[in-house]
Amino acid sequence: MIFQNIPEPIDELIRVLGYWDYIFSGFLITLWLYGCALILGFFLGLFLSIVRTYGNRFFSTIATAYIDIMRGTPLIAQLLLIYFLPYSLNIPISAWSFKANFVMFDKNITLILLDHKTMISILALSLNSGAYQAEYLRGSLMSVGSGQLLAAQSVGMSRLAGIRHIVLPQALRRVIPAWSNEAAYLPKYTVVVYFIGVSDLFSEGYYIVSRTFLTLATFIVIAIVFLILISIISKGLDILHEKTRIPGL
Amino acid sequence: MNKLVLKVDNVWKSYKDLQVLKGISFEVLEGEVKVLFGPSGSGKSTLLRCINMLVPPDKGNVFLRGQNLNEHGVNINAMRARIGMVFQHFNLFAHLKAVDNVSIGLRRVKGLSKEDAREKAFNALKSVKMMKWADHYPAQLSGGQQQRVGIARALAMEPDVILFDEPTSALDPELIGEVLQVMLDIAKAGTTMIVVTHEMGFARAVSSEMIFLGDGIIEERGSPDHFFTNPKSERVKHFLRQLDILYGSHEKLLQPLDEEDFK
Repeated sequence: MIFQNIPEPIDELIRVLGYWDYIFSGFLITLWLYGCALILGFFLGLFLSIVRTYGNRFFSTIATAYIDIMRGTPLIAQLLLIYFLPYSLNIPISAWSFKANFVMFDKNITLILLDHKTMISILALSLNSGAYQAEYLRGSLMSVGSGQLLAAQSVGMSRLAGIRHIVLPQALRRVIPAWSNEAAYLPKYTVVVYFIGVSDLFSEGYYIVSRTFLTLATFIVIAIVFLILISIISKGLDILHEKTRIPGL
Repeated sequence: MNKLVLKVDNVWKSYKDLQVLKGISFEVLEGEVKVLFGPSGSGKSTLLRCINMLVPPDKGNVFLRGQNLNEHGVNINAMRARIGMVFQHFNLFAHLKAVDNVSIGLRRVKGLSKEDAREKAFNALKSVKMMKWADHYPAQLSGGQQQRVGIARALAMEPDVILFDEPTSALDPELIGEVLQVMLDIAKAGTTMIVVTHEMGFARAVSSEMIFLGDGIIEERGSPDHFFTNPKSERVKHFLRQLDILYGSHEKLLQPLDEEDFK
């Protein structure tokens, strides 16, 4: 042994890493919430941005109001509202869950992929993220300009076909750098699900702290996990942006 | 006797308080080239957009081969496929190669197979001398080349009439020639065209009738000969003189302008 005694910070780190199965399952749940919310939010955002940009006054106003409300209120308030709404309306909640089980290095890992709480979490995160994604998409839809849509209509395409075949393929390419903001924010937003008791990475962190009292070491580990995840997402989107670039532009 | 292709009947259009078109009527026969010209703001572009209903007129009708475009139940998308349009700023589809810019309408609107559409697109590109550039994206082409692709895109649909909205006014001077040459070629091949332009040389060479638009009405119309020898209205004379100063006799540029020129 080089060290007579293992230095304290490293000892703490090793003790926290002893709970790697908790960190790992929390990470998977965070990833799961993130993936669902990002994808559902994307389609919601796409729909909202098209309605807001190209819809008639009535639908455009509704889409704008939705976006303003979702962006103007705290995510945690939205989550708690959706979570407590059935209780205050006396709607019975049945206990059900969809789990995944597997064994890894002799540790038994159980993931609750879908139950009442997880579903509420995914719903709230998607509804919120959709509003933000809508605005990123709206910006890129408008940056394509109206000229090409006019040209599409002048060769006989309907407005909808023009949006689908001409505007969207360009808008979706252009949106990537701005949209990567949302892709990088959302994993960190998912931590609010701790407040309704979903076992995500952050909740597992609290659990480890309650067992070990090693607050600093635990949250440093969790921060590093987030950092790695988001670095990979950013790099991936950079590559995607480069690959889908329109030559000459 | 050539057949009637397009009839514009008493078209009115206003944007809020601004009355842009005040009752425009004219007819276009098969193979004719109509040149629309007039000062900026006189409603030329609006008139073209009213013709293919990109901007529906407030009053009046447009007939394409006898079919009223305003009539209830008319599939306006299908009718637009029969009216080509070439834009001042080209408006090419930026994410598509030149050949795909031309073929996408054939595929999505006319329902042609990928191969058939491609072959037709190549033919259209050939007629605007852009074969060599078929696999380039719009951003890799010069303005003149982009505009020729724009013309090919309209041509490929084999429309009854093609509308040109100031096709050369966004181009650098040395690129105007190639576009005008292509337009001359297709005009001589018998394409029915309505052209908004200030290229008087082009108008003189191929137009069957010139229409001078001023403040939303047809101020004067007639053959190119009529306009270049003895136009009647003072406004037309004044306008042609200004074009002449700009494009023609350079010595006039060096002289101080009359007060009239600033009106």
